Amino acid sequence: MSKDKNNIRDEIIPPNSIDKLIHEPARLNIMTRLYVVESADFLFMMRQTGLTFGNLSAHMSKLEEAGYIEIIKEFIGKKPHTMLKLTEKGKQAFNEYRKQMKQFFNEI
Amino acid sequence: MIEKIDLKKVEKQTYQFTFTDGLYDMAYGSLIFFIAIAPILREILYPSYIIFLVLPAPLILILGKRFITVPRIGIAKFSQKRTKSRNKIGLLIAILFPITVVLVVLTYLGIYNIRVGGYIVPIGSGLFVLILLSVIAYVMDYPHFYLYAVSIGLGIPLASLLKPIIGDPMHYIISFGISGTLILIYGIFTLTKFIKKYPIPKEEISSV
Repeated sequence: MSKDKNNIRDEIIPPNSIDKLIHEPARLNIMTRLYVVESADFLFMMRQTGLTFGNLSAHMSKLEEAGYIEIIKEFIGKKPHTMLKLTEKGKQAFNEYRKQMKQFFNEI
Repeated sequence: MIEKIDLKKVEKQTYQFTFTDGLYDMAYGSLIFFIAIAPILREILYPSYIIFLVLPAPLILILGKRFITVPRIGIAKFSQKRTKSRNKIGLLIAILFPITVVLVVLTYLGIYNIRVGGYIVPIGSGLFVLILLSVIAYVMDYPHFYLYAVSIGLGIPLASLLKPIIGDPMHYIISFGISGTLILIYGIFTLTKFIKKYPIPKEEISSV
């Protein structure tokens, strides 16, 4: 019985191995919203997440530093415009996070 | 937390968020409204009354999205699957729109009744528009289009049925005017709510 318990303990993902960058609620919200679209601009993300300009900027910077999101600068007419996109690394990290969390909750 | 995230649902919510401006309701409502008053416009403006049937709906959509929606909620590009569906619908609407206007004008002029007789053609035309708009509603994943489909799908045969009973131009005003005005008012109400809820952000945000 104790052997079985040890096996289960080995299979359970320890919470500290979960990607904390994604696990933060605001960033999880951002990652989820960006995962379901091809790309979105800053204003669209503000409206979707309900975050303020400063908050969203700060979280975006962290996600960009980690290589999870890509910032694409373009022009609409003469106005500069920024589109945000999840990178392949970001998509993989998000999928991995989902998998880990599902497994974690299934095993509780 | 994560096990509750349904990505399909999130995608659908995000996609449908782009319709919360009420512009589609206003565009379609104005189309039906102008169809309803087409006989009156025809008397006054012939032949330029056609402009009122063809122009307002696309103008509301194009200008509304450009000057009202995008500055308030920004832009999102959806998956290729969605984009392809939208392109197909765009093509379908581009074909359907002039056909609908022609069918409505022909129904008004009573050409079906003179050449073919009976109500088979108006009912067939109504069904044609009803089915096509329902297909658009399904592919576009926008349930309001089902309402549009019913309003015009029933309106065409109803106009033909009412013409001998209540005469010109009341048959058109009843068949299309009521639904058109209600959809238009709903669209204006939704747009007003949208503008209040999403004011244009400060320059620093809109220029990011």
